[in-house]
Parts: sequence; C-alpha cells; structure tokens
Amino acid sequence: MSESGAKHKFAFYLGCIAPNRYPGVESASIKAMKKLGVELVPLKGASCCPAPGAFGSIDLNVFYAMAARNLVLAEQMKMDIALVCNGCYKSIWEVNHKLKHNKDLRDNVNEVLKEVDMEYKGTINVYHTAELLYNDKFIGVDKVRDSVTNPLTGARIAVHYGCHLVKPHKDREFEKEVMLNTEHPTWMEELVAALGATPVEYRNKMQCCGAGGGVRGYDIVHALDITNEKLINLQEEKVDALTDICPFCQLQFDRGQIEIQEKFGVSYNLPVLHFAELLGLAQGMSPQDLGLDLHGISCESFLQKVL
Amino acid sequence: MERTKGYPAALDKKLQDTRLYLEDSNPEFTKSVKAISRTNAHMCYQCGTCTGSCPSAPRSTYRIRKFMRRAVLGLENETLIDPDLWLCTTCYSCSDRCPRDIIPTDVIMAMRNLAFKRDIVPVNFLKTVTAIYASGHGVPNNDVNRAAREKIGLSRDPPTTHTYAEYMPGIRKILDHYKLKANADRIIKEREG
Repeated sequence: MSESGAKHKFAFYLGCIAPNRYPGVESASIKAMKKLGVELVPLKGASCCPAPGAFGSIDLNVFYAMAARNLVLAEQMKMDIALVCNGCYKSIWEVNHKLKHNKDLRDNVNEVLKEVDMEYKGTINVYHTAELLYNDKFIGVDKVRDSVTNPLTGARIAVHYGCHLVKPHKDREFEKEVMLNTEHPTWMEELVAALGATPVEYRNKMQCCGAGGGVRGYDIVHALDITNEKLINLQEEKVDALTDICPFCQLQFDRGQIEIQEKFGVSYNLPVLHFAELLGLAQGMSPQDLGLDLHGISCESFLQKVL
Repeated sequence: MERTKGYPAALDKKLQDTRLYLEDSNPEFTKSVKAISRTNAHMCYQCGTCTGSCPSAPRSTYRIRKFMRRAVLGLENETLIDPDLWLCTTCYSCSDRCPRDIIPTDVIMAMRNLAFKRDIVPVNFLKTVTAIYASGHGVPNNDVNRAAREKIGLSRDPPTTHTYAEYMPGIRKILDHYKLKANADRIIKEREG
C-alpha cells in the first residue's frame, strides 16, 4: 500500500485528445480509479504518443523514438503506465513491446535517446484503464459494480471497442484471455452491465470508427462514411448512448455526427461517452464535473434517463 | 451528398486488366517492405480475406489484396504513387483474419514509409509533425478547453509538455535527428506555397 492508501499506482499517460478536447475523461479517470484503489500519478512532460497513423506512416523509426521517450519518463518514475486511449495504447504499449523483444530496434532508439540523455531500459509495463477495470488482479467487474452509487438503470448502451487496444490480437498480450477475442468480444458489455445499464449488441460491432491511419485528415468524407455506417447500425437498436474507450474514436463519433449532418444531411443525435465518463456518472459525479457540455452532441437525452 | 476523393470516376480505369513487365518489378522493394514491416508479406496467397474484412474497401477502390500482390511482385512505382495507399484506417481487421498470419496493415505502413522517402505523403500527416514540434501535442490545448478544465477542477493546461515546456528541446532534438521537421516544412511549402 502506498502512502495515499491506494493499492496500485500508475503513471497516468494522458495523450492529446482526452486532456485537450474531453477533459472530463481525465478528471473522471483520476477520481473513479481512486475510488477503486488505483492512484493515477501525472506523467510530467509527456508528449503526444506520437499519433500512430501520422508518425507510423511517415517514419517508423521516429515513431519508436518518440514513444520511447514517453516510456523512459515513466521508467524514471519506476511506475507502470496507465492510459485512456486506444491510439496511445498502440504507440506506447506496442513500442514498449517491440523494443523489449527486438534488440536491433532498442539499440537504434537508444542511439537517438542518448542525444537527450535518456536510455530506454524496458523496465515497465503499459495498461489501458479499461483493462485495469476488467482485470480482478487490479480492480475487476465486481469492484466496479460495488462502487456504483447512481446505477444507470434503464439506459440502453452500446459499446465501441475501437481497434488498437485489441488488434492485431496476435501481437497483444492480455492476462485475461477473453480480451483476445476480437471477432465478438463481450468484456466491455460486462463493465457496462456493472454500472446498471443494459448493454446492447448491434450489427458489425467491431468495425472501425473510420478516423484512424490518418484517413480523417486525408479524406474526411471517406472516414465519415465509415462512421455513418456504424451510426446506422446503432440507430437500428435504438440505443440511448454509445460508449468508447478511445478519445479519438469519441471525437469521430461525437464531432463526426455534426460533420455528417453538414456533409450528408443526416442527424442521429446519439450521445457518445468515454467509459470513464459513464463510470464517473455511475459513481455520482455530476455532468458539470465531467464537462459533458463540451461534447458536440448533447448528452441531455441520455442524462434524463439515468439521473 | 459529397463524394469521396475522385471516386467513382476513376473506377473503370483502375479495374481494367493490366499487363506486368519485368522492368516494372524491383525485387529490392519486396525486401524493403519485409524489412520495415517485420511481417512475411511474400507468404500471401491472395485469398482476399483482407479486402473482405476492410472497412475502406466498400467505399473506395482501395484493395489491400492488390497492395499485397504488389509487395510480392515488387511493383514499387505503381504502389507508391497510388493515392489509395493512404485510405487504410489501420484497423487491423485484415491482420486478425489473415490465414497466412501476415499483418497486411503493417505492409501498408511500410509502403507509406517508402513513399515518404520520395516525398509522397498527404500534407495532413506532416501537419501533425509540425504541431508536435511546436507544442509536443498533435492535438494541442485551446482557450475554450482551458476554461473548461479550470471549471471542472483541473489545471488549465495538462501536466504534459503543455505545462512543462522544458521538455520541448528534447522532443525537437529527436525529431531533428531524423530531419523530420525540416522535411515536413519543405514539403508543405512546395505543396501550399
């Protein structure tokens, strides 16, 4: 146990979109995880992960070096990393994994890091907060259920898993085997049910949001057309909200609905909430505490059901 | 309704039968793709599971199976100048389903790396680089968000490079090591003046 009484302590890697567009995700994560015995400590001086689509496409060597710099900051704190974004997971987890297992890549990265007086040693692990919530070694579904004071009863909530936490599954290593099922996973639905809500399945649940790989910036209409297909499938199930575990997917579904309205003339008004925001609500945080008014699509219809 | 880039006007031409000539093939390209991607692209037997799993395929002429074939045949030029190369969302659905245990998404990433070496890259990718060079963030903070952060009890700027600017010189040094900022600036200037 640490001084603060927390059972587990992690360096909290924020990324870009959570702190700079949906700050409720940051504050809800810190508060909700604290209630569950996990302390998230700021990872000072962290940068963009860097964006796996842009940097990975341009030059993988820079991608490795920039991600390694963030990893070294946590190594210096002697703490494992916890993060809230699938895109960040791809950069930070995957580069950590690659550098640990490939000496040639590690040597290349360390040659560059030497110029900034850093050395990647491979001494820490990286986790997504969704993974910490699901894994009983850290928290587990039962404890999440026990922490709920304002059950989201009656709300029909669908899950968007996103891509880079779980895929490519042959490269991933989860302690919970069930997380490696990328065709039809249901572990996030268990977490949604733990909050008192009704998890809802929908057609082609595992399809991408459309934003990744730089496509959102390269061809926005193409990216939105993928998002639109998911929204059509969600609308068929009459869901009250969509939950995600990736602020970039959230941006694509939330602000994307406004862009879809402008470009395609279709509106869905589907509230989109990061699971941390849902958890915060279920633990009694107010919509104001969560900054839900920053969302592009109003969460009001959903909030009326659950508050 | 708006159409996606250039489609379907270019469709007929793209779907025409083409002949391949030996001089179009560069065996070094196959090797480079394998070395950068760290996956066995040459093992592809063209079953098409990748294209069948691809969310970009139904709404464009992007066919990942075709890029896999080009990797095997060493068709460097037609690969690198094909605008479809940039339509992969990197969702890795193809990679999870590939019966040959290849990671086609990483083949695409390797091809994009090789394209960049010839200055072939969409400008939006470079703008992410310049944003990170300026502030450490690809999506930086703004005043509306600063006010909102303060209202919900967070610091106006997150405890990242936004608060600790002393970390910026290190980040710039890493990017400069690869001449990434200089190249990004040069290419953006050539395109946009």
